[in-house]
Amino acid sequence: MAVHELKVPLSNQDIEKLQAGDTVFLTGTVFTARDMAHLEVKKLLQNRADLPVDFTGSAVFHAGPVVRKSGDGWELIVIGPTTSMRMEPYAEMIGQLGVKAIIGKGGMREDSRKAFQKYKQVYLQAAPGCAVKLASAVQAVEGGYWLEKGMPEALWVLHVEKFGPFAVTMDSHGKSVYQDIKDNALKIMATF
Amino acid sequence: MLGNFNITYEEVYNWVKQSCTHVSQDSIEILQAALSQETSSSAKAMLSSMLENVDMADNEDKPVCQSPGYPTVYISFGSTEGVDLLRQYVPMAMVEATKKGYARPSIVHSLNRQNPGDNSGDGVPNFEYQYRPEQEYIEMIISFKGCGAELGNVYKTMTTAQLGSDLKGLKTLVYETVINAGGMPCPPSAIGIGIGGQMDVAAKLSREAISTRDWRDQNPDPLLNELEAELLEKINMLGLGPAGIGGKTTCLAVKIGMAATHTAICPVAINFHCWVARRFGVRLYPDGRREYLFAKGE
Repeated sequence: MAVHELKVPLSNQDIEKLQAGDTVFLTGTVFTARDMAHLEVKKLLQNRADLPVDFTGSAVFHAGPVVRKSGDGWELIVIGPTTSMRMEPYAEMIGQLGVKAIIGKGGMREDSRKAFQKYKQVYLQAAPGCAVKLASAVQAVEGGYWLEKGMPEALWVLHVEKFGPFAVTMDSHGKSVYQDIKDNALKIMATF
Repeated sequence: MLGNFNITYEEVYNWVKQSCTHVSQDSIEILQAALSQETSSSAKAMLSSMLENVDMADNEDKPVCQSPGYPTVYISFGSTEGVDLLRQYVPMAMVEATKKGYARPSIVHSLNRQNPGDNSGDGVPNFEYQYRPEQEYIEMIISFKGCGAELGNVYKTMTTAQLGSDLKGLKTLVYETVINAGGMPCPPSAIGIGIGGQMDVAAKLSREAISTRDWRDQNPDPLLNELEAELLEKINMLGLGPAGIGGKTTCLAVKIGMAATHTAICPVAINFHCWVARRFGVRLYPDGRREYLFAKGE
């Protein structure tokens, strides 16, 4: 149940020392990406085109913020996690890209659990519905790509300081808190 | 003398804005009680964060959650006077609240996924009207319901055999649905169950039950009241907990809406609501008086 303060970009060593049940705070750059951004990355990779950002060692936040135009840039109002399960079909792609940490809510399934072991990745659960609290750690919106997809679906580049707390709920050693809880709940249900 | 309900756009705008920046009091009070019952440190930390976030949104005048979810407006009335104004003002107020940063533009074309950027679109917000000839007031409940919760929803046309003795089949369907939804509906969630009619009726009843009833109320039907209590108690024994990462607080309320059905079927819709209950309820009286719903409990 250790608490880790990590800097992004993350290394394999950073990830391997994390165990399910630990708490993590992140400092550095975080990308947001949800359904449409994942789809766009997949298309670009298929066309062997360049991606707008380098995902090596990155932290990807399944989230769509509320932002407001401010001069030439953007001001972040609030941000919180969206349901990660929708991005499960991209487990292998995200692993190959070198993403090290996924922040979201609700966890992911078997393909992701396997990818996390294979590519040394970790899943971080954010407190759901706590968008004001999470936003307080975002220092700046450094950029946004694919804005034509709409505010939630764009890829936002955020600079964060001590962003968290996040619970490690799927680690790189094959452990998934969600799977353990589900198995246990099914056993309890059988006693009703 | 019947008045004009004194409805102004400014007042409606404030109600819509308040729906985005506040969590309704029933959810908050149940969360507070749950926090004192939790024993695991991660569950306590999650619930504390949630309550702290509610206060921060209030103090900083910000949307309490980044996602406004999908809006449905429930209006019941005895005379149509005043209803036209609400029908006109709520969508305008949503667009204004979106432009001011109180609601993220989240409504898209269902197929090409294009986002007009102002939370407008065909059928949005969804209005549900109910004509109650004897009612002197207009009741309006503005409900923004998160859509992570929608991902766990289940509909099933059950049969008499599937309902089982002592409704075991129905109860098992509910528990399995909760377990499969896991952390998706932002637990602790609340669950609306619609029973009866045909598929469309059950689905509407499920959303209405959890969106319009006070989560602290009792069902006036003794059979349903007992069923709500049993489902709530057992769901909270499953151990999913806040955020679905373990604990005693998985569900804050179970509310059932029921209609009669055909002898061949029993339609059942199970509908999750996240803990972040963005809703605003008001009764408007013809003389201009207002009575607010979901107020502070004892």
